Order: sequence, then C-alpha cells, then structure tokens
Amino acid sequence: MNGSNFKTYLTSNLEVAEEEISSLLENCVTKIFKKGQFLLRKNEYCKHAFFVEEGLLRQYSINEKGKEHILSFAPENWFATDRESSVFNQPSVYYIQALEDSKVVMIDEDFIRLLSEKIPAFTDFNNRLLHNHIRHLQNRINLLLSAAAEDRYLQFIKMYPDLLLRVPQTMIASYLGITPETLSRVRKELAQKNFKT
Amino acid sequence: MKTRTVEIIASPREPHLVGDGFRVHNFIPSGYRMDMQRMNPFIMLDYNSTHNFPPADKPKGVGVHPHRGFETVTIAYKGKVQHHDSSGGGGVIGEGDVQWMTAASGVLHKEYHEEEWSKKGGDFQMVQLWVNLPKKDKMSAPKYQAIKYEDIKRYELEKNAGNIEVIAGEYKGIKGPASTFTPIHMLNAKLNKGGKAVFEFPAHYNTTLLVLEGSIVINGKEEAPTNHMALMANDGEKFEIEASDKAVVLVLSGEPINEPIAAHGPFVMNTREELMEAFNDFNNGKFGYLEE
Repeated sequence: MNGSNFKTYLTSNLEVAEEEISSLLENCVTKIFKKGQFLLRKNEYCKHAFFVEEGLLRQYSINEKGKEHILSFAPENWFATDRESSVFNQPSVYYIQALEDSKVVMIDEDFIRLLSEKIPAFTDFNNRLLHNHIRHLQNRINLLLSAAAEDRYLQFIKMYPDLLLRVPQTMIASYLGITPETLSRVRKELAQKNFKT
Repeated sequence: MKTRTVEIIASPREPHLVGDGFRVHNFIPSGYRMDMQRMNPFIMLDYNSTHNFPPADKPKGVGVHPHRGFETVTIAYKGKVQHHDSSGGGGVIGEGDVQWMTAASGVLHKEYHEEEWSKKGGDFQMVQLWVNLPKKDKMSAPKYQAIKYEDIKRYELEKNAGNIEVIAGEYKGIKGPASTFTPIHMLNAKLNKGGKAVFEFPAHYNTTLLVLEGSIVINGKEEAPTNHMALMANDGEKFEIEASDKAVVLVLSGEPINEPIAAHGPFVMNTREELMEAFNDFNNGKFGYLEE
C-alpha cells in the first residue's frame, strides 16, 4: 500500500525500521471514498479504525427528531472509528461519512494484533493513544457542559486550524453544540475585537 | 530575436463547481507542468468555459471566503457577477469588465451571479486568475481596481485582422488601465478569421494563451482549439498567432517572482509559518467579518 502518512505516523512514533513497517503495511488496505460516501452507517457493525491519509471524515448521530449531532471530524492524520461497535461488537449508533474525497487506511483487529506481535513498543504506544483519546473526550465533555460558546469556538480553531474553510458553518455549530446563529455572533464579535483596519 | 515555441497545448480538465455558481476547468496549478512556480506570477487559473445557467431566483455563487498573499483577477466574458467584501466594498462585474482585487494582507469576500442576470439565466463565461505578490507586498493593504470595459484601450491590427485589448501591461505602445506590483501583460486578442497578431515578451517571462472562442495556430504550426491553453516555452521572445476562425484569446505574460511559495487553500505565502499565521488570523477574525 502507498499510505505514506500512515507509514510516517508509525515510524515517527515507534522505533522501527521503515522496511519493516512497509512489509507489515502490506496487510492493510487503503480505500478511496468519494465526498458524501459512508464508511459506516447506523446499525452496521464497525470493523475498522479509519486513518485519514487525505481528505476529511465526520462521525455523527441522528436523533429521533432527525437532527444531526457531530461527534468528531477527522482530517488528515486523524483516526475515526466506533469503539462500542468494533470492540464490544454492538450495532453502531453512528454514521461515518466522507466530507471530501478521501483516502483512508482501513485498520482491522488482525492488523493491530500483528503490530503488537511484531513491534514490542506498539502496545505502549497504542495505550498512550487511547489515553490521549480519553483526555480529548474528557475535555470535550467538560467544554460542552461548562464553557461559553466563544471558548468552545476558540478551542475548536486551535485543534482544527483549517476546518473553518473546509466545513459548512452549520456542521461546526453542530460539533460545538450551539446554533449556527450563535456561531455567527461569536465570529462577528471576535472580528470586532481583533480586526484592525 | 528568437521565436518562442509552444511547450504544451493543454486540454481542459474535467470541470468542477466552485460554490454552485462557477463551473470551472482548472489549468493552473493542477495542469501538467503548470504548477505555481512554473507559471509564476500566475499561480491559479480557473476557466469557466461557456455554460448555460438556467434562471434561478436565488443567485448562485460562492459564499464568504478569505484570501491573503496575492491578487484575484476576474475577467467576465459572458454573464454578470456581483461581489461584496469585508471592507464594505462591492460591485457588479459586467460583460467585458475586469475586477482586479489585491487581497494582500487579507480580505473576506463572496461572489454571486448578479441578481437580475440570475433571474433570466444564460451563457456564462469567466476567467479567474490569481496573481502572486512579491514578499514585500504580501501584507500590504487590500485594494480594488474595478476596470470597466469602456476603459480598456485597444490596438487595431492591420489588414482588418482584429484588435488587441490591453488590460494590463502594454501592446505596441497601448497601455492597460490595471496597475500591477510586478511586470505583467494581460491582453485579450480578438481576431477575425485569418487574422494574425505578433507578440514580443522577454524570454524569461512566463507566458500562456487561453483560447476562449474559435481556434488559433501558433507560429504557423501548432493548433490550439477552443477551451485549450497553450503554455509557451521560455526559449525566445517572439511568437505569432493566427485565427483559424474568429477567435478570442487571453494572453498572459509576466516576470516570474523568484521567491519560495507556501500555499494552502486560499492563502499563498512564502513560508509554512506565514501560512499557519494566515489560518490563525482568519479563524480569530483578523480578516474582519462579512455576513453570509
């Protein structure tokens, strides 16, 4: 496979030769998804973690009133998956969809097992990733419960510096748990504060 | 004086939509051998070949977006575009008009089919070009040049061959109304069938021809049909075009800006750090605010 970002990601985080990673990566498939295409739908079983080589994914749910709620965005070098489905073998409550034409590395359980067997440092690294993910989720819950709209927005642009240009504002508002009107007001107030002619 | 030869005749790529109002073929920078450095100072060229838009109550176009580090030049051949920007400016680009926007340190703008035009619909044909700015001018203040068709002077060719409209730079002593930061010639050659025109630019100026109507033969040899772009080599100064049938050709020639390019989305700077700063400034409202 040609997944070069994923290869760089692994070699820079694990002390392992590039040739070894290259041969291990032959057990991994890279797929192209067109804009709008689904990688996972509600009630399906998630069999992969998706690593984004190029493009952009979103993970979201739809409530009983038909409203979308965006759980996460995954641009280049990010992962998206549904752990409840993939690890605990439950039908998914989420959708994962490509927001741009995307190139995605499909990581399955066998590949994780193979990496754990062949690269001793992988298990520690994977644990650290998991802790980092939990930290991110904790921060996100805390922001959604306690932070003002502006703080949520400021955190968002720090974490996703280029998404404002790639994603419609309604989706960003959905991710932040605010209305599009509030997001627009926050951005207008920031501009009034920061724009110098 | 040496003859400047043809390097490539590029066919139009599959069109894509910019917003919902511009159906464009990108030539620069995605065309073969047409990357930003090769074409510098012309760092992006989207060509909306003639396309019939049906009547629409809600004007189609592109919503609010930023630019920094270059100029956008919109040349309207058919149809009308309305635009607004974060400094309160705005206007209509009508048929034959050229809008030259120096985004420089940064603007937010949006552009749509003009309201009345949109209600009727019709043929739409435009070129949007990004012109690079030298490092020293990338963070200068934004400005506009709204160039009306009436203000564009033309040179009448001999033997009823047609005429050359000069938007920027010069053709045989006729100067264009646009002011530029680096030397650029931007001309519309409107030739009658069989009409010939000769062009002379310094060999190191990057030079390209976009055939909007009709077809032409370059230097008596290579044919460039409608909607194709001819990239000229940097091997000489002088070349000749002849219209096989009534033709409109956009002629671009500019002195390359020999500085590094760091580009991402709507920002074209010199370093990665400057790009990150551009995203940061945009996210934090430093480009101002414009209602969607």
